[in-house]
Amino acid sequence: MAAVPTDSGSRPAAGARFFCTAGRGLEPFLMREVRARLAATQVEYISGKVFFTTCSDLNMLKKLKSAERLFLLIKKQFPLNVSSVSKGKILSEIQRLINDDPESWLNAISTWKNLLELDAKKDKLFQRAANPPKRKVEENDIINAKKLKTKQLQVLQESGECSLEKQTEEETQEQGDFLTEREKSQEAFQNDVVKAADAKNQKNLTFRVSCRCSGAIAKTFTAQEVGRITGIALMKQFGWKADLRNPNLEIFIHLNDIYSVVGIPVFRIPLASRAYIKTAGLRSTIAWALASLAEIQAGAFVLDPMCGLGTILLEAAKEWPDVYYVGADVSDSQLLGAYDNLKAAGLKNKIELLQVSVIDLPLPSESVDVIISDIPFGKKFKLGEDIKSILQEMERVLHVGGAIVLLLSEEHHRRLKDGDQSSIPLSSEGSHTGEPSIKKCLKPGGKTGTSETVSSSFEASSQECLDKTPPFGSLVPVECHKVSLGRTDAFICKYRKLHSLGL
Amino acid sequence: MKLLTHNLLSSHVRGVGPRGFPLRLQATEVRINPVEFNPDFVARMIPKVEWAALLEAADTVPKEPIEGYEHDEKFLRKMHHVLLEVDVLEGTLQCPESGRLFPISRGIPNMLLSDEETET
Repeated sequence: MAAVPTDSGSRPAAGARFFCTAGRGLEPFLMREVRARLAATQVEYISGKVFFTTCSDLNMLKKLKSAERLFLLIKKQFPLNVSSVSKGKILSEIQRLINDDPESWLNAISTWKNLLELDAKKDKLFQRAANPPKRKVEENDIINAKKLKTKQLQVLQESGECSLEKQTEEETQEQGDFLTEREKSQEAFQNDVVKAADAKNQKNLTFRVSCRCSGAIAKTFTAQEVGRITGIALMKQFGWKADLRNPNLEIFIHLNDIYSVVGIPVFRIPLASRAYIKTAGLRSTIAWALASLAEIQAGAFVLDPMCGLGTILLEAAKEWPDVYYVGADVSDSQLLGAYDNLKAAGLKNKIELLQVSVIDLPLPSESVDVIISDIPFGKKFKLGEDIKSILQEMERVLHVGGAIVLLLSEEHHRRLKDGDQSSIPLSSEGSHTGEPSIKKCLKPGGKTGTSETVSSSFEASSQECLDKTPPFGSLVPVECHKVSLGRTDAFICKYRKLHSLGL
Repeated sequence: MKLLTHNLLSSHVRGVGPRGFPLRLQATEVRINPVEFNPDFVARMIPKVEWAALLEAADTVPKEPIEGYEHDEKFLRKMHHVLLEVDVLEGTLQCPESGRLFPISRGIPNMLLSDEETET
């Protein structure tokens, strides 16, 4: 990942403080990412949120891959005192969030406005520089190789570096349409905000409060009530107008037993929702996390032998472009979906597709550098395939020293752990008995809200699960992380091939 | 399907083993995709290439990688074109030992075998 670029643009000297929400289990990945990508400092993980300070601009912030949403921090403080029975007292506690320190609110909004302005300036420069006239491809694409080769050489000589121009017009159009809609709406939104948040005229801001309450406070007030209380307090304090449908400013408040956090969502659309992915298969944040463990290097041959819609390869190709990617699947419909995704993302030239079976790969032994895959969870398997034959074939095609990173369901992980094929009760009670240590995995931060150093949290969460992952043939488990997929949990497991088979 | 990919594929029909490589390529529809030239990337791919197989698939290729190819831009550009820009959209791949044909459709080779054909 590229480090924070140094340029002479106006940027907050000390950096601004942000926080991100992240899926359970991905927090250590996110902490590592903000440090690497944004040179973030004061990185803390507290009860579901990662807080950090950075000087990066919106362009860099937009690139965060393992976060759900990003917020500019207005305030983080101790949880509200709800020990008193009086609702009125608690109400004034809530109001104090706004009234006690209006400066911090105004400063945050000013920072936010600066971020958007800086981004708007850069957008204009970028648009002027990168708007080549669209090139018309007159002939049919499908023509004799020799003939096109001569024409192509001419085009190459004329067009120079910009790779966008080299796509056929049809592809450029389709990809352009897909990306532009989202960017246009984000841009329009940002322009509106900059106008409204003009220093002299902050009163023109419209806002909406979005509230989440859990723990003790939720017993006294609903989220809606808190939203209303704070909304009124904000209108009184700053003179803003409420707009529930299309506000300039969204205020996000989260009250629980551990903290009171207030922030401004930096982007309208969550970071986890990728502009370049047309149809998501696996959650993009998890797909990226898998790829981030795989040690992908320039010139590597990376295979996803159960690629489905290609989400993992898309995330990997965006981050590590100088790599040879191949996706394989048995299903016609999945491959068609993957093909569409590649086209929409403009990555057809980076990722090859094959229709093959993972337990019977038509590849020579030891020909692949990296394997990354999301193993379908149980029910979708064809008869006769099981996790062990899959792993065996992956092991065969992998280079010695190569890495395999897999997303495994709890059941697959258990199968590998137990080393036999007998059926295991799949009821929810069955899966939880005798595994208290997995529960430990779920809360690496603990309930006291201690801040964690990046590496210790990463290793701690890995070690618990690693203890239950045995080696598989010549594949040695390197790390293992439990992550949440929403309704179910899964394991990110990394193996390394230590020696050749047959040795 | 790029020629770099063809260079990797091997027939896995039962009993064929290493004689299943390389697959004989018959292309009926080919497209040339302009791909941004990255000399470093091409240089890294060269050692992975099975040259004899590549020669069978594309006769415009030099007989073998020349000495000091990493710094020879002309050579690298030529290899870039052959390995990465030639895209077989329709055609077949044939197992040289068993004769089994694998179709290529929309650029995607279908190498699924029936149960009897796969190696146990």
